[in-house]
Amino acid sequence: MLIRKNYVVDVGDRRHTAEVARDGARVELRIDGGEPAPAVSLPVLGGRAVSVTVGGRRRLVHLTAADAKGGLRATLNGWPVTLSVMDELRAQALEAQGPAAGSGNLTADIPGLVIDIRVAAGQAVQRGEPLIVVEAMKMQNELTAGVTGTVERIAVAVGQSVNPGDILVVITPANSDQSV
Amino acid sequence: MTKNRAKEAAGPGTFDKVLVANRGEIAVRIIQGLREMGLRTVAVYSEPDRTALHALVADEAVLIGPAAASESYLVAERLIEAAHRTGCGAIHPGYGFLSENAAFCRAVEEAGLVFIGPTAESMEIMGDKLSSRRKMMASGVPVVPGTDQAVRDPAVAIGIADGIGYPVLLKASAGGGGKGMRIVRSAGDMASALRQTMGEAGLSFGNDAIFVEKYIEDPKHIEVQVLGDGLGGAIHLFERECSVQRRHQKLIEESPSPSLSPELRARICEAAVQTARAVSYRGAGTVEFILAPDGAFYFLEMNTRLQVEHPITEAVTGVDLVHAQVRIARGEGIGLRQEDLRQRGWALEFRVCAEDPSRNFAPSIGRIDAMNVPLGPGVRLDTGIYEGFEVPIHYDPLLAKLIVWAEDRPRAIARARRALGEFTLHGPTHNLPFHLWALDQPAFRDGTYTTHFVETSFDASDWQPELSEADREALIAAAALFESGRRAGPAGGAQGDGGDSGCHNWRQAARRAMTGHR
Repeated sequence: MLIRKNYVVDVGDRRHTAEVARDGARVELRIDGGEPAPAVSLPVLGGRAVSVTVGGRRRLVHLTAADAKGGLRATLNGWPVTLSVMDELRAQALEAQGPAAGSGNLTADIPGLVIDIRVAAGQAVQRGEPLIVVEAMKMQNELTAGVTGTVERIAVAVGQSVNPGDILVVITPANSDQSV
Repeated sequence: MTKNRAKEAAGPGTFDKVLVANRGEIAVRIIQGLREMGLRTVAVYSEPDRTALHALVADEAVLIGPAAASESYLVAERLIEAAHRTGCGAIHPGYGFLSENAAFCRAVEEAGLVFIGPTAESMEIMGDKLSSRRKMMASGVPVVPGTDQAVRDPAVAIGIADGIGYPVLLKASAGGGGKGMRIVRSAGDMASALRQTMGEAGLSFGNDAIFVEKYIEDPKHIEVQVLGDGLGGAIHLFERECSVQRRHQKLIEESPSPSLSPELRARICEAAVQTARAVSYRGAGTVEFILAPDGAFYFLEMNTRLQVEHPITEAVTGVDLVHAQVRIARGEGIGLRQEDLRQRGWALEFRVCAEDPSRNFAPSIGRIDAMNVPLGPGVRLDTGIYEGFEVPIHYDPLLAKLIVWAEDRPRAIARARRALGEFTLHGPTHNLPFHLWALDQPAFRDGTYTTHFVETSFDASDWQPELSEADREALIAAAALFESGRRAGPAGGAQGDGGDSGCHNWRQAARRAMTGHR
């Protein structure tokens, strides 16, 4: 039985489509609407890498999940690359939600100690403006606003330890009327 | 076993069990060297390091305190107490932490333990830039032109600068790691620069003594490995070049240096031996020099410990420096003759740090999700991490050191590229791609790079190569088939050698990974 499925793959900042056609053990792959090519992928190294053969060329690609939303960390020939993959339907659904779907929340990306808070609730901030300083490994890291908007709430205090994923500052993005 | 029994069984200077007062890759490397000599090993660890590699590989491991180094790895009494409790006869300090702390060295020896390192006196002379400078001037080792006394008066400083020529460098006597230094390019800037440097030095080091020396433009950092017997005898194990630095921290080192003629090498190595003899140096140490573009070299400082980059010297000389340290600490002497030592081939070391080159080398931490290390001819990896290890926030970002050796420099570079290409590390952001980038830079390839290499050549926003179409295709295929296989079972299992259990593992791994992988 032939099963076809389409995926959207982001490599760096370029978006690609990949159609996977399966017929039992046979797999054909069509990238960006090009010619279908036979593809073989073998999970290796305990599932942390995949040996891919496309169009007769074999490569070893290391892959681990970076998040639960299709984000992947990949390494090819020693170079780390950020990827994300999702099926086409999900990608279309996300796109329909519009660009404001991403919240303006600032989250910690590394564990550390909050040593300075540079904004207050109610304040207007510009994308890229420093909001909070977190100290990790004896280095001070300035965390900046990902969107332009208004500070709704500061969720942490100076002296507090934070972990990756912790929300630090809640921001209501400006021109949120764009969202559907 | 009690401390007394351990000491009675062994004569002075002998020991059969050693406490390694350090963590991470250097603690692991020292434990390896000690074990090869038939010695038993004791590791120490802080609370977050309970499952760190060094604590797992030692014969015994002792908890010495909470995460903060000031409450664990830097507490001399706890380290000495742990050594007594486990019946150790000696302490190896590694690098960093207490390795160059004269008070610790004295406390260890007063506790009846052997300190595997130099005497407290040599540490004191070399730990102060002014006193070491005076000592070297007296011994005939070339130092950068400048003062041998602290300067407080701007008028005096201007007089000195006029004599040696601008630009000059104001330097804190107690400074280090690039802190407490300021370049002065004209007499008009002297007064404020001197005031600021003294203020900083007073605050940072508790000592505001400042001296003036000539600022050498476009210098190279050359250092010489020495071994001393503590009785005035010393040999050198040739040079290392460490000019690839960021914020005065070394990133890539090589031995030999591509910048030295045989004649210059002989002179600089002789100056290093003279330095070691001047303080009757005991054990392994490193004499650092700066090399000016005109070929003049000057004493910078002496590091009274085993260096991070010691493996490249081991690779080209064939001498195990940890073994040599132990032999000297036992009172057996250096055990090597200068005339028997040769530099064979070429070695490069790459420091693998948890830091993001694109964000001004900001530190990064996290769990090592995947690690695949390079092996094969001429490759050595000194590491303190493993797959599943959580890199703690509290310490140095150095995760591992990749050392390659080959017959000559071009082959060593080719081997380095091969090995770095095989190295996969997922989890914290790291600088392996920086090393791949550096290998392709003309200034690195022809060996003309100076200590300004990173600041002049590296552009954080534009240094990663474009992906080739073939690479891009492989990544898209891997990602799509990964996602597809996650739902439909193994993708394209036509080759069949994965087998049922392999497919099962794959799906399980993928599922675990996709759900937060913990």
